[in-house]
Amino acid sequence: MDMITIPAVNFTPILPEIFLSVLAMVLLLINVFIPGDRKAYLGYLSFVGIVAAGVLVAAGWGGHIESFSGSVVLDNFATFFKMIFLVSAGLAVLISDQYMEREGCNHGELYPLILFTVVGMMLMASGTDLMTIFLGLEVMSVALYVLAGFNRKNPKSNEAGLKYFLLGCFSTGFLLYGMALTYGATGTTRIAKIAAVVGQMSLPSANIMLVAGMLLMLTGFAFKIAAAPFHMWTPDVYEGAPTPMTAFMSAGPKAAGFAAALRIFLVALPTLQVEWSQVLWVLAVLTMTVGNITALRQDNIKRMLAYSSIAHAGYALVGFTAGNGTGTAGILFYMLSYAFMNIGAFAIIILVGKKGESNGNVQDFAGFGVKHPVLAVAMSIFLFSLAGMPPTAGFIGKFYLFSGAIQQGYIWLAIIGVLNSAASVYYYLRVMVFMYMKDPTEEFDWMQVTAPMALCVAISVIGSLIPGIIPSLILQFAQQAIKLI
Amino acid sequence: MLIALVMSGFVAALAAPALYHFFPRFAGRLCPLLPLALCACLLALVGQISAETPLLFSLPWIPSLGISFSLYLDGLGLLFALLVTGIGFLVFLYTPAYMGNDVRLGKLSGWLFAFMAAMLGTTLAGNLITLFVFWELTGLCSYLLIGFDHEQEESRRAALQALLVTGIGGLALLAGFILLGNISGTMELAELLGRGDAVRSHPLYLPALLLVLAGAFTKSAQFPFHFWLPAAMAAPTPVSAYLHSATMVKLGVFLLARMTPVLGGTDAWLYLVVVTGGITMLTGGVLALLRNDLKQILAWSTVSALGTLMLLLGIGSPVATTAAMVFLLVHALYKSSLFLAAGAVDHGAGTRDITRLGSLVKSMPWVAAGAGLAALSMAGLPPLAGFIAKELLYEAKLQAPLAPFLITTVGVVSNALAVAAGILAVWLPFFGRGGDPDLRPHRVEIGLWLPPLVPGLLGLGIGLFPAPVGQWLVAPAVAATRGEPALVNLALWHGFNPVLQLSLVTLGAGFALAALRGPLLRKLPEPGNRPVWGPEHLYGMLLSGLQGFSARLTLTLQSGRLRYYLMIVVGVTVVLVGFTFLTGSGELPSSLPRPDGGIHEWLTAIVILAAAVMATVTRSRLAAVAAIGTVGYGVALIYILFGAPDLAMTQFCIETLSIILFVLVLHRLPQFTLLSNRATRVRDLLVSLSIGGLMTLMVLMAVSRPLSSHISTWFLEQSLPAGHGRNVVNVILVDFRALDTLGEITVLAVAALGVYSLLKKRHKEES
Repeated sequence: MDMITIPAVNFTPILPEIFLSVLAMVLLLINVFIPGDRKAYLGYLSFVGIVAAGVLVAAGWGGHIESFSGSVVLDNFATFFKMIFLVSAGLAVLISDQYMEREGCNHGELYPLILFTVVGMMLMASGTDLMTIFLGLEVMSVALYVLAGFNRKNPKSNEAGLKYFLLGCFSTGFLLYGMALTYGATGTTRIAKIAAVVGQMSLPSANIMLVAGMLLMLTGFAFKIAAAPFHMWTPDVYEGAPTPMTAFMSAGPKAAGFAAALRIFLVALPTLQVEWSQVLWVLAVLTMTVGNITALRQDNIKRMLAYSSIAHAGYALVGFTAGNGTGTAGILFYMLSYAFMNIGAFAIIILVGKKGESNGNVQDFAGFGVKHPVLAVAMSIFLFSLAGMPPTAGFIGKFYLFSGAIQQGYIWLAIIGVLNSAASVYYYLRVMVFMYMKDPTEEFDWMQVTAPMALCVAISVIGSLIPGIIPSLILQFAQQAIKLI
Repeated sequence: MLIALVMSGFVAALAAPALYHFFPRFAGRLCPLLPLALCACLLALVGQISAETPLLFSLPWIPSLGISFSLYLDGLGLLFALLVTGIGFLVFLYTPAYMGNDVRLGKLSGWLFAFMAAMLGTTLAGNLITLFVFWELTGLCSYLLIGFDHEQEESRRAALQALLVTGIGGLALLAGFILLGNISGTMELAELLGRGDAVRSHPLYLPALLLVLAGAFTKSAQFPFHFWLPAAMAAPTPVSAYLHSATMVKLGVFLLARMTPVLGGTDAWLYLVVVTGGITMLTGGVLALLRNDLKQILAWSTVSALGTLMLLLGIGSPVATTAAMVFLLVHALYKSSLFLAAGAVDHGAGTRDITRLGSLVKSMPWVAAGAGLAALSMAGLPPLAGFIAKELLYEAKLQAPLAPFLITTVGVVSNALAVAAGILAVWLPFFGRGGDPDLRPHRVEIGLWLPPLVPGLLGLGIGLFPAPVGQWLVAPAVAATRGEPALVNLALWHGFNPVLQLSLVTLGAGFALAALRGPLLRKLPEPGNRPVWGPEHLYGMLLSGLQGFSARLTLTLQSGRLRYYLMIVVGVTVVLVGFTFLTGSGELPSSLPRPDGGIHEWLTAIVILAAAVMATVTRSRLAAVAAIGTVGYGVALIYILFGAPDLAMTQFCIETLSIILFVLVLHRLPQFTLLSNRATRVRDLLVSLSIGGLMTLMVLMAVSRPLSSHISTWFLEQSLPAGHGRNVVNVILVDFRALDTLGEITVLAVAALGVYSLLKKRHKEES
C-alpha cells in the first residue's frame, strides 16, 4: 500500500499569522492571571508582539513564495498591506488602554481580539484562493463584531455590535454566493487559475454566471469597505463602537477589504475591467459624495470622522476604478497614510473626551490650541492630512489617486473627487476654527496623556507628515508592491 | 541658492516667536533684515536673468509621476519676488510699531515669515505641483492672518470665507494642473512653456483653461469671487497691506502671466479674461466710492486694479503685457503705501472713517507726504510712476483686439473712479478741512511713517527715471510672459497724443466724481442691515443650503433602522445584478429542465412554500419559529428524497437546535405588534420577492451547467484502496481530512470546556 504523502508545506508565508495567533492565545491565557487594574500589561505585550510581527513581515519584503498548494502567497503586495494592518493595530492598541480604563470596560480580551482581526486581515491580503480570502474575511469579521460591541454596558455599543453582525452576515452571504458562482463559471477558486480560465474565454462578459458572481463579490466587498450605498451600517457602528475600535475599524479592515478586492479583480478578472470599473465609478462617486455631505453637519467629532471615513474609502475607490498602476499604488499609499492620520485624530478625540463618551463635540475643542498647543498642532496636522492639504501625506495620496483616474481618462471622476475634497475642507477646518479661534467655553481640566497615547500621537504625526514631504519614501514600496499583480 | 531663498522664510517663521519671546527688544529690528537681505540677493540677480537663461533648481519629489520639487527664476518670477521681499521689508519694519506691546507680535511675525516664504515659493516654482503646494500655503497663511483678531466673529467669518473661496479655487487649479500635465506630458515649467501649441490644440484645452482660470480668478478676487477681499480687511493693517493689496492677491495675475505662453492667445482666453477683468475693474471702482472706511475704499480699489491687470493680460499684446507689468509694480508701490498710511491713521487717530478724519497733515506730516505721493501716483499724474502706467494702459486698450472703444471707455471710467478714490482716501483725511474736531490724533513714530513714505518716494523715483526699471525689471518680465524677447522703453513724456487727452479726461471726470459723491450718496437709500443681493449673498445661501441638505440627507440615509438598511443593500444588489442580466450580452439559460418530480417531491415543495408564507404572516412568534423550522425540515426531506441521508441528519440536528435556541430567546420578547402599515408591507413584499427571484434565477443558472465532478470520483475510487473503508464520507473525515477533523474536535472540546466552566461559575455565584 502506498503511503499518502503529505505535501510539503512551506509555513514561511504565514509566519506572521502563526506568530500573532499564538501570541493572541498566550495573551488570553495570561489574561486569566492578571488583575483587572493591570490589563495595560496585555496592551504592552501585544504592542511588542505587533512590532515583532512587523519585523517578521518586513523580513519577507522582496520575496515571492507560494504555499499551501498556491492558496497563500508571500509577495510584496501582501507584505505592504500586512504593514498597514500592523500599523493600524499597533496604533489602536496604544490608544486603547486609557479609553477602556475610563469607560470601565478594560477587559483583557480586547487585545487578543485585535490580534485575531489582524490575522484575518493578513490572510485576506496574502490569500490567492477565494476560499482563503473568505476565511480571512470571516476571522476578521467575527472578531470585529465582538470588538464593536465590546463596551457591554453601553447600549450604543451593543447596538453597534448587533447591527454590524447582522448586516455583516448578510453581505458575507452575498460575497460567498459570488465566489460560488465564480467557481461555477470557472471551475476553480484559485485566483491565478480563474485568471487563466477567464483569459481563455472569447467574451467573458457574455458569461452571465461569471458576471453575476463578480457583481455579488463586488457587493460583498463594497460592504466591507463601506462604499455607498452599502455604507449604511458605518455611522451607526462607528459611533457606537468604543472609540479606539472605531479608529481601528476605519483603517485596518477597510484596507483589508481593498487588499482582497484588488487581488481578485485585478489579477483574476482583468478582462472584465470594463464591467467592474463602470460599477466602481458609480460607487466611488456615491461614496465620496454621501460621506462628505453627511459629515458636513456633524457636531460630534467622532461621528464626523466616522462619516468622513466613508468619503475616504470613496477616494480610494477612485484609484480602484482607474485600476492602473498609479491608481493602485495610490490606494496602497493612501491606506497607509490614512491609518496614521485617522487613528491620530481619534487619539486626540479620546484625550479630549470624558467618561461616557462625552465632551466630543466641536465646541469642546474651543481654545484647545491655547491650552494644549502641542496636541493642537498634532491635531491640525491630522486634519490637514485628512482634508488633503499639502504638504501632508493626505495630499500626496489623493493626488496620486486622482492622477491615476485622469491617466485612465476618468476626468469627471477626478473632478468630482476634487470637488468632494473641497467640501471636506470645510468640516475639517471647522475643528481648526474652534481650536484656534474660539475661547474655551469652560476651563480645561488637567488632561492625562499616558505614555502610549503620546507615542501614538507622535508616530501618527510622523506618519502623516513625512510621506507628504518625501513621498518616495513610501511610494517606492507601494510601486514595487503592485508590480506582481 | 534658490532653495535658500525660499526656505529661509520658513526657518524664520519657526524662529520668530522664540526670538520675540527671548529678545523682545531686538526681535523687531532683526526681523526686517531677512526680507532686506533676500531683496538684495534678488537685486544682485537683476540683469543676469532672462527668459533664455532662467535659474533652475530641481530635487526629485514624486519621481514616479515625474514630479520634482523644482524652482525656476526668470524675469517674471524676479519681478514678483522683488515685490514680495521689498514690500515684506517695509511690512516687517512697520509691524512692531503698529502692534505696540501686543504679546502676539511674535506669532504674527512668524506667520508673516511663513507667508513670505510661501509667496517666494509660488513665484519661483518651477513645477506645477510645487506651484500648487506653495499656492495653497499662501492661502493658508492668509487664513491665519485674516483671523488673527480671533476674538471677533467678523474676523473668523472673513477668514473662513477667504479660505473657502480661494481654497476651492486652488483645488480647481490643481485639477487644471493635472490635466495640463496629462496633456503636455510634463509638469516641469521649463518644458511646459515650450509646449503651448500642443496644449492649445488639445481637445481638453478648454476644461484645463477653465480650471486654471477658476484658480486665478478666486485668488485675485475677480468677479464674481471678489467679495472675500474686502471682507478680509478684518486682518491687521500690515497684513492687508502685504497680502491683500501688494502680493498675494496678485498671484492670480502672476499665474495668468505664467501660463500665457501655454494657455494664452486663444479666443476663449481673450473673451474670458477680458470680460471678467472688465467687470471686476468697474465693480471695484464703483463700490470703492460707496465706502467710508479708509481700508474698505482701498480694498475695493484694489479689486478694481486687479481687474485692470487681468484685462491687460487677457488682451495679451506686447504693449498690454508691458502695461500690466508696469502697472503691477506701480500699483504695489502706491497701494502698499496707502494701506500702511491708513494703518498709521488708524493708530494715530483711532478711526478709519473718512467722514470723521481731516487735517491729519498737521499731526503726521511724513505719513501725509507718503500717502500724498501714492495718491498722485494712483491718480496718474506726472511725474509719478502712475502716470507712465496709465499712459501704457490707454495705449493697450486703444489697440485691444476686442471692442477697443468699449474697453477704453470702461478703462477711462474706472480710472476716473480710481482718481476719485484717491481723493477720498488721501485728500479728505490728510488735507481736508472737515473732520471730527473731537479727534485728537497723536504723532506717530518712525516705524509708522517711514514705511508709507518709502514706496511713495520710489513711485516718484521711477516716474522721473523710468528707463532703468523698464529695461532691467519690466522687459525681462514681459519677455517671460510673452515667451519672446521684449524691448521696453519707458518714458515719462510721449507728446500730446490721444492717450494724454484721455488722461486729461480721466482726471477731470475723477474730480467731478469726487465732488459729486457726497450728494449722490445722500440720495441712495440706506442699505440697512438687509443683506445686499450679490455673489456674497449667494455664497452664504450656498453654504447654508449645503448644510441644510446635509442634515436632511443624513436623516434620510442614516435612519438607524436595520430593516431600512437591509432593504437598500438588497435593493441595490438586485438592481445591480438584475440589470446585468437584462442588459448584458450574456444569455440566460433558455431551456430549463422540466420539473419532473413525483408526488412526494411536489408535496414537500408545497409544504416548504406554505411554511415560508406562514412565517411572514403569522402574528405569533412561536408560530413563526415553528414555520421556519418546517421550512428547514422540508429541506432535509428533499435531501433524503435525493439520496443524502447523512446530510439530512445534519440538517435535522441543526434545525432542531436552532429552533430550541430561537424559542429560548424569543419567549422573553414582548408580543408581536403590527408596526408597519399596508403600503410598507407591500413594499417589503416586493423587496423580498425581488431578492428571492434573483436567487432563484441564480440557482437555475447554476444547475443548468454541467458539474465538474473529478474530485468526487477520485474520492470514490480511492476510498477503499487508500482508506480501507467503504463509507466514503467516513473515510474523508477520519482519513483524508484527518488533520482537519482533529483540529475541529480540539476546538469543539476547548469550547465545551469553556462553556462548562462558565456554567459552573454561574452556578457557584447563584449558590
